[in-house]
Amino acid sequence: MNFNIISYLLYIPIIFFITVKVGWILYKNGEVFMCNIIQNDPEIVASINKILLIGYYLINLGAATITIAYWETVQNGYEMMNALSDVLGKTILALAIMHYNNIFWIKFLNRKKQTEVIN
Amino acid sequence: MESTKIVIAYFIYLPIVIGLTIFVSKKLFESGKSFMVEIFRGQENIAIATNKLFEVGFYLVNIGWALVIMKIAYYGYSEEVTSQRLIEILSRKIGGFSIYLGVMLLLNLFLFLRGRKVARQKQLNHQVNMQQQPNFGYQK
Repeated sequence: MNFNIISYLLYIPIIFFITVKVGWILYKNGEVFMCNIIQNDPEIVASINKILLIGYYLINLGAATITIAYWETVQNGYEMMNALSDVLGKTILALAIMHYNNIFWIKFLNRKKQTEVIN
Repeated sequence: MESTKIVIAYFIYLPIVIGLTIFVSKKLFESGKSFMVEIFRGQENIAIATNKLFEVGFYLVNIGWALVIMKIAYYGYSEEVTSQRLIEILSRKIGGFSIYLGVMLLLNLFLFLRGRKVARQKQLNHQVNMQQQPNFGYQK
């Protein structure tokens, strides 16, 4: 049991918790926007939403797991804290960027839909 | 022995990967049924059969690919395989497979949406034709 393994054991639960929590919140709140884009078909909306949630989990948890393979060698507790904060911060920032990307797409599709309706 | 460690890695890798594939395709084709029913409108049994065929195809492609990428080859020669190294190798394999599976899932969703769009377009054209034909007869 060296410091590398301890940092993996700390890293995996934290990042999984954050990813799953964020995905769940987006899943719960995203359905309203999807209903706006695909009107009067709630069954299809629920299906798409569920598939998107699973895709999000697979890709983000996979990426989070892959970062372990490129972990720097850790000798003591101080270095472990540094490495953990570095990797966790980068992963959470990546999540944030993807989140804003999603918001942009929702806005874009909504606007497209509205212009279609007007035309 | 290094090869025993790698065998342990295989025995961890295989259940995770196969379980993940089964779970994902179950969820995907549960939702896929509603798409299929909409694509094959009115032909429920054809919709369910097509869904099942797609599910089998999904299993075959993904489990096949998981087995192809299973081999852990080039680590044993350069350095000793410690348990830390084992975790790192496994994380790369499983994480990579998970991302691949996610991409396949979204590809499938895209195909479903495409099929739905095409089916709707066809139906719309059909309706327009049905409305136009009596009109032509009437004008003559």
